[in-house]
Amino acid sequence: MNATLAHVERILAVFVGITVLLVALIALRNDWKSTGLENQVFKLMLSLLGLGAILGMLAALGVLAGKGVE
Amino acid sequence: MTTAAVTHPGLVGGHAEQPDQLYVETRELRVQGFLLFMVSDLVLFSSFIFAYLYLRNTGQGWPPPGAPKLDIALAALNSIVLFGSGATMHFALENWKHEHFIKFANWVMVTIVLGALFLSGQVIEYVKIAAGWGSSGIFGAGFYTLTGMHGFHVFCGIIFLTILLMQATAGKYTFQKYTGLTLGTLYWHFVDVIWVVLFSIFYLY
Repeated sequence: MNATLAHVERILAVFVGITVLLVALIALRNDWKSTGLENQVFKLMLSLLGLGAILGMLAALGVLAGKGVE
Repeated sequence: MTTAAVTHPGLVGGHAEQPDQLYVETRELRVQGFLLFMVSDLVLFSSFIFAYLYLRNTGQGWPPPGAPKLDIALAALNSIVLFGSGATMHFALENWKHEHFIKFANWVMVTIVLGALFLSGQVIEYVKIAAGWGSSGIFGAGFYTLTGMHGFHVFCGIIFLTILLMQATAGKYTFQKYTGLTLGTLYWHFVDVIWVVLFSIFYLY
């Protein structure tokens, strides 16, 4: 039961992660030429959001895992 | 112009209200002030993160003896839920900029729901590890302090977005004057980005 649940969680994480990554990349592309302080911060935040989505997907796929996890 | 835009109280007689001079002059200052607040928050998180990493690298090794394993599948899904809420909040602000009030309100509500889902996932994680870990030990203290502090920020963010949504619905913001909505979005992205770091040090390192 727990193994099945973990499997579902991993699959969901990968699919939603792909969506989030695409959204972050598209938003970055659209905002790339925008100026102003808050827009620069937005671009930084969106880049890190994309990085987070990649890390989340790699963790869900079992590619990345720390020492104290199962 | 859309129907949603016409029904919004920020529009008077079908014409957009123009920002006044004071608003234009002080907008940048308010954004800078909020960014300074975020920097101070970043310093707070950084202090705890460096303390945790120092203790982890100079202590008895990791994971500490008897510590339960963290559930990476749940954490990955929970993380993606939070990152997804960052995307939905971005949609919300973009819709406001394009004068689609209904879509803006819907995306903010989705963001709030996703934030609440993330907090629920955190509670599940706490319950799962509480039996084995309890609150004893410096490593457990580090985990609970950092994730708890982040969870508190998410909780505050949910209240922040709820208030912003109520104010926007009441007509406090117009499609030309919406600094508060921009700052709310910035705060939510900040909370997302902090979790990228926390997720990495607790689950990937």
